Amino acid sequence: MRALRTAASGMAAQQLNVEVISNNIANMNTVGFKRQRAEFQDLIYQNVERMGAQSSSQGTVVPTGIQVGLGVKAGSVYRITEQGTPAQTGNRYDVAIDGRGYFQITLPSGETAYTRAGNFSLNGEGQLVTDDGYAVEPAIQIPQDAVDVSISKSGQVQVITDGTPEPQVVGQLEIATFFNEAGLESIGDNLLLETAASGTATPGVPGDPGFGQLLQGFTESSNVDAVSEISALIIAQRAYEMNSKVISTADEMMSVSANVKN
Amino acid sequence: MENAAYIGLSRQMTLRRELDIVANNIANAETTGFKVEQLLVGTEVGERARNDQIRPSASFVLDNGVGRDFAQGALEQTGRSLDFAIDGEGAFFTVTDGNGEAYTRDGAFTIDPEGVLVTKAGLPVQGDGGDIILDPLQGPATVGTDGTISQNGLPVGRLTLARFDALGALSKDGDGLYRNRSNAQPIEATGAQIRQGMLEGSNVNSLVEITNLIEISRSYERMAKLIENANDLSRRSVERLGSTN
Repeated sequence: MRALRTAASGMAAQQLNVEVISNNIANMNTVGFKRQRAEFQDLIYQNVERMGAQSSSQGTVVPTGIQVGLGVKAGSVYRITEQGTPAQTGNRYDVAIDGRGYFQITLPSGETAYTRAGNFSLNGEGQLVTDDGYAVEPAIQIPQDAVDVSISKSGQVQVITDGTPEPQVVGQLEIATFFNEAGLESIGDNLLLETAASGTATPGVPGDPGFGQLLQGFTESSNVDAVSEISALIIAQRAYEMNSKVISTADEMMSVSANVKN
Repeated sequence: MENAAYIGLSRQMTLRRELDIVANNIANAETTGFKVEQLLVGTEVGERARNDQIRPSASFVLDNGVGRDFAQGALEQTGRSLDFAIDGEGAFFTVTDGNGEAYTRDGAFTIDPEGVLVTKAGLPVQGDGGDIILDPLQGPATVGTDGTISQNGLPVGRLTLARFDALGALSKDGDGLYRNRSNAQPIEATGAQIRQGMLEGSNVNSLVEITNLIEISRSYERMAKLIENANDLSRRSVERLGSTN
């Protein structure tokens, strides 16, 4: 009986669905997190009776044929890169991107990673770094005697030092865009890596055409919507239950056949 | 004489196949753009053993096709600009691969590193001028209900929808794809509309499927009972009529 395996594929798919939903809910308050969605496709079909086959000696043909599907599989789990709401934090090193683009981060290995999480801080040398202490690219150095720091919408970093009323430019933040953002690979810690599917990064100045703007003193909240996640969870659970019902029905039917008295 | 058992058996075989199809419907209850299927069961009249006009001939059960219900599935908002749903029955997006054109209702598209609009499996989606190429630096693409794609206010192409006069010409290929197995040529679906930022759910009605499941299970039991009774009848007749003293 195909039904048993078909239903098992359905249960496996719904299990994956629940895993993706639970990760979204767990990251509801993660800065810059983009929710994911599992998308399913039907599995292969078995041709029991081909359409167009002759159904009688009078030359009539089978109009539709019998194709029996063998279940479901996960088509893809993709990130929905919808803008998250900017949340005011008051921290002067928090920067949110309003629009397209990713901050570039230098990993300890020398590779460049990309992130939407702009909750930066300074390290012991006055350099702008992420929560994990990875440097932001291009490097921004804030002098020790800086009284105030301002980051403009276009990413220009200016400081005001004691005694000099004129703000001084100390660096320019850049962001990168990709052809296919959904093709970026998540490596945890809010970081993403470039892949063959995403295409190469195009760095640029925030606010230029095709690039988002920066907002100082804000972080981008995750774009997870609790209500839709919970309803998705309920739907996934019910779908799982229905598949288990198919398994028990197939099992019952086999037991009926096995117990026919002769 | 043995007809009763064989008739019961013919029904049980179609019931098993019906179960396989219901199982596939339920497994795909959350599959984007999936269309519910049903086994079409008919009567197959058996030949008379002898030319006796009074006794009716035995009728067996035979499945002679799978019907697909192409009714519209519910549209679900996803918030992703490259998700498209077709609002209108019997229309399809056209994609190409090594084996020619295929048709799909699953509009969860993406763009490849060259900017070509592709399906999740990487198959290019067809518009009125072949592949659709987007420029990521021109901002997000907006798609009108007639399929016109514009970026930064300028039209860059048009997504077209295909329709067939006879939907029975399509066979399923898995991965949400349908293929045209007949000589019929697709025509442009003018009545259907494209909705951006939405996906079409499956049109599986879980209540109907669960009811089918119960019905299949109970009919199967009934047929098993029928076969048992038929066997019982022949065994007893052998016992009674076969005794020689």
